[in-house]
Amino acid sequence: MNIKEYISSGIIESYVFGLASSEEKTEFERLAAEHPELREARNAFERLLEEQLQLNIVTPPAFIKSKFLSSIDLEENKTAPSFSGGKGSIPPVIVGTSDNRNDGYAIGKAMVIRKDFSRFMAAAAVILLLMSTALNFYFFNRYKEYNDKYQALIATQTDLATHNQILQTRLLEYEKTVEMMKDPAMYIVKMPAIATSPDPLSATTIYWDTRTKDVYLAVNRLPTPESGKQYQLWAMVDGKPVDAGVFDLKDGAGMTKMKNIQKAEAFAITLEKRGGSPTPSFDKLYVMGKV
Amino acid sequence: MSLLKSRDSKAFSYLYDNYSGSLYTIIVQLVDDLEIANDVLQEVFINIWRKIESYDPVKGRLFTWMLNIARNASIDTLRSRSFQNAQKNQPLQENSDWPDGGKLTSVNSVNFDNIGLKKVIERLKKEHRVLIDLAYFKGYTHEEISQIEDIPLGTVKTRIRNALMQLREYLK
Repeated sequence: MNIKEYISSGIIESYVFGLASSEEKTEFERLAAEHPELREARNAFERLLEEQLQLNIVTPPAFIKSKFLSSIDLEENKTAPSFSGGKGSIPPVIVGTSDNRNDGYAIGKAMVIRKDFSRFMAAAAVILLLMSTALNFYFFNRYKEYNDKYQALIATQTDLATHNQILQTRLLEYEKTVEMMKDPAMYIVKMPAIATSPDPLSATTIYWDTRTKDVYLAVNRLPTPESGKQYQLWAMVDGKPVDAGVFDLKDGAGMTKMKNIQKAEAFAITLEKRGGSPTPSFDKLYVMGKV
Repeated sequence: MSLLKSRDSKAFSYLYDNYSGSLYTIIVQLVDDLEIANDVLQEVFINIWRKIESYDPVKGRLFTWMLNIARNASIDTLRSRSFQNAQKNQPLQENSDWPDGGKLTSVNSVNFDNIGLKKVIERLKKEHRVLIDLAYFKGYTHEEISQIEDIPLGTVKTRIRNALMQLREYLK
């Protein structure tokens, strides 16, 4: 065989690109061992290819390197005990796949293992996702339930607080009333119903502070006025009625502070139009008390 | 070389730094999908690490050996059933059944035809280019190509040889 012709037949390129058939490969390797010029030519083409393929490259993402290095670390530790027998020996993984059929076989196998693993991982991920979803749902329901309960408690608490405030206010009123009733400086004027009173059971009481001349009124009993009407207190000063303020009936025994009256001979209560009248309507006189 | 054979991780780190780019480029051109190329590249380096014992410098340069591992891994991936199915489901990028009008494929599939081996192959005559594409990039045997293209086996062989020699000229 003319080796020069062989060299320029395209077999070198075929061989280097991995496109030669196995017979061609065997022949090429045999001839290359015999002919240094064939090896030289192959080497030259390999260098050319290598140089050219190193130009204009696409850089792979950096994470692949670390993944690669960590996986060989892992494999190194895994296989280390099994080939402590000899330094140059090939780990078992490789013995089985050492190829006649070129390098593709072992790679294929590795891919399959990898694929199984990634399938397993995918399945595990799906299961975890489902579990997480279920838990999310469960906890969300629990959260909603507790949130509702919490809201209900807040509402109850607000009600209680409001109620408590009402009670407190009322208690303060009672305390104030009791204080006044006990106060020795208070001048008490009892105001029973008069003979012509529209309600013969009516009764009120005036607590008149002798120091400040403030007038407080406690309603013992008065009928509820019709709408648009209001009770009015009068002080009889030198025989003339003086307005001492209007008032509404209210719950409990609280006292209503009326107008300050410096002096009076008597107090009377009439029913007037809402807001009070300049002069009393004596036909609607309910109670009266002399000082 | 002896450091590589003793599986020194620093040596492999160096190897990776020097060759991952060129191997990645060829893998991307072969599988035409960046994400798959990432997986294949990692696989290729793990295989280089595993099989370094079987590398014989007499038969060729280390780069050639690694290049062939990368090519074989890429073609195996292309041929694995799941990948074939995926390819069948998205035959062309104008598949309008996809919600995004077929953009799904173009996310990972980037055109790298203007660099490396692909760029050189683009310069070949069409009849040569088709055969190199089938043989080198798709991994078909000469016999398969003869059937696919309906050309006599001898013609396939001759054309591929001629194409490869032309390729060598373009590489220079």
